[in-house]
Amino acid sequence: MKGANDVFVKSYISHNTFRDSVYLMRLSNTVRGFDGVEEAEVIIGTDHNKKFLRSGGLWTDEIENEAGANDLIIAIRAENEEKADKAIQDALDELNKSVERDNLQGDFIPRTFETALQNFSGANLALLSIPGRYVKREADKILDSGLHLMIFSDNVSLEDEVELKKKAMEKDLLVMGPDCGTAIINGTPLAFANEVKQGIIGVVAAAGTGLQEVSSLIDTLGEGISQGIGTGGRDIKNEVGGITMIQGLKALINDDNTEIIVVVSKPPDSTVTEKVLKIAKESKKPVVVNFLGGDLDQVSKAGCEPAATLKEAAYKAVNLARGKSTATGESDIKVDQAMLAEEKDKLKNGQKYLRALYSGGTLAYETMILLNGKVSPLYANLNFKNAETLEDVYKSKAHTIIDLGEDEFTQGRLHPMIDPSLRNSRIVEEAKDPETAIIMLDLVLGYNAHPDPAGSALEAIKEAREIAEKDGRKISFVTTVCGTDEDIQNRSEQVDKLKKEGVIVLPSNTDAAAFVAALLAD
Amino acid sequence: MENLFNSELKVINMGLEGFAETLKERGTQVLHVRWQPPAMGDDNLLNLLDKLK
Repeated sequence: MKGANDVFVKSYISHNTFRDSVYLMRLSNTVRGFDGVEEAEVIIGTDHNKKFLRSGGLWTDEIENEAGANDLIIAIRAENEEKADKAIQDALDELNKSVERDNLQGDFIPRTFETALQNFSGANLALLSIPGRYVKREADKILDSGLHLMIFSDNVSLEDEVELKKKAMEKDLLVMGPDCGTAIINGTPLAFANEVKQGIIGVVAAAGTGLQEVSSLIDTLGEGISQGIGTGGRDIKNEVGGITMIQGLKALINDDNTEIIVVVSKPPDSTVTEKVLKIAKESKKPVVVNFLGGDLDQVSKAGCEPAATLKEAAYKAVNLARGKSTATGESDIKVDQAMLAEEKDKLKNGQKYLRALYSGGTLAYETMILLNGKVSPLYANLNFKNAETLEDVYKSKAHTIIDLGEDEFTQGRLHPMIDPSLRNSRIVEEAKDPETAIIMLDLVLGYNAHPDPAGSALEAIKEAREIAEKDGRKISFVTTVCGTDEDIQNRSEQVDKLKKEGVIVLPSNTDAAAFVAALLAD
Repeated sequence: MENLFNSELKVINMGLEGFAETLKERGTQVLHVRWQPPAMGDDNLLNLLDKLK
């Protein structure tokens, strides 16, 4: 069928074929790279997805009449019919290859929770990553069957979250999430968690990359994690009342394998803060509290160890685990002056702005806090009291901090931790702006994340450098790598790769933000 | 929470296969459910079915 602008839109329907959304988004990316292809989607034919295809101009009569929710649609817009046909054939070949590669091949794969439960007695946790609007139906069944639950899915209503968490609380079950990207239970990393040593420090966090950063730093410092409980970001709102945070905190207090507790989140709503601190105060175990940007005195008055940064939370927990004082000053921020001078030398007069391109929301938020009052004007796509909201999130202004994991960037796309291509093109874009001084990046390692984030970022960094150098400029690239040497990407190897190419790598996000603040100071 | 912290983790994974694959590679007991939208993904039919419950 002839589509807009004299290009061909063609489709293929593979009946009774299902693949999960991450696999299909990856395949769509691959197909978009095929010769002559302008746009492509490989997607399941639900009503929702069909509306998406129609609005994106990837629409054919075949999709309208023949594709249903049990079918897989390959929709291609290409420069001519031949290239569209070739792309469809190549996409089908990829799909067939995936069947051969299937790691779960040979396993019994049920289609419903009920069948799974019948065949898997003793299951104690369900991990849900299905579209948000179906979560409540499945989660109810899971909780009624007595399983704990981790909900990776987002787009679950607040009302459903409250209902599920109340039900779970009555049954003494834990609901981690919705929108819980990471957890470590009994030493097992779930979803996007890092491979960390087992130990005596238990963490409860309403902050996904906050949990990843703190647990990874604890590992790097030589200690380990007993449990890492994620709550989902909305848990700390008055409406939810911190149900999971409180359950998690109490569970860690009662857990024989946990001796030190760390709480990490943005400052909770006031009633939740009071409840959490009251329980922490009654605990005989030391509790380190990092309410990012919150009131440290309030935490001290509750008899807890306040931590202003993620780095401080990790260091304090490690020192407590070793029976040492928490006032060692090890977590104080020290900026390497020689490195700072070298980076400052690179910058010309007109280069004055920071462009921070984050994939981890909590890491971006910590940087906003640490730069607060130090750089101005500051723009962001995150809610923060002293930052202006960007009118167009695709266009930076003055100092800009962007969380590329926010919904506006991930609708129908893979999260930047899995697929850094959107961030990579943004790195190149920022290099074209003669006012860009620093490009700051977080590289988040761990299960299910990109296999080589440093390698991927370096391709964009090299291109960005060429653009700047043609214009007689040099840009300072400042990064932090969140993860451990036990992660599949190996933190040390990732760090070495970046340093070899002259990229600044700081040991924590806290240090990276401090370095950037010093670099921008007059 | 005793049955979670003090026993071996046994996970039913519904949705993204990658999560089940990494757990399996690590030696964690996991059963993957190849979940598909109920009511053939027809939201209207699903709403009707929910009302009948």
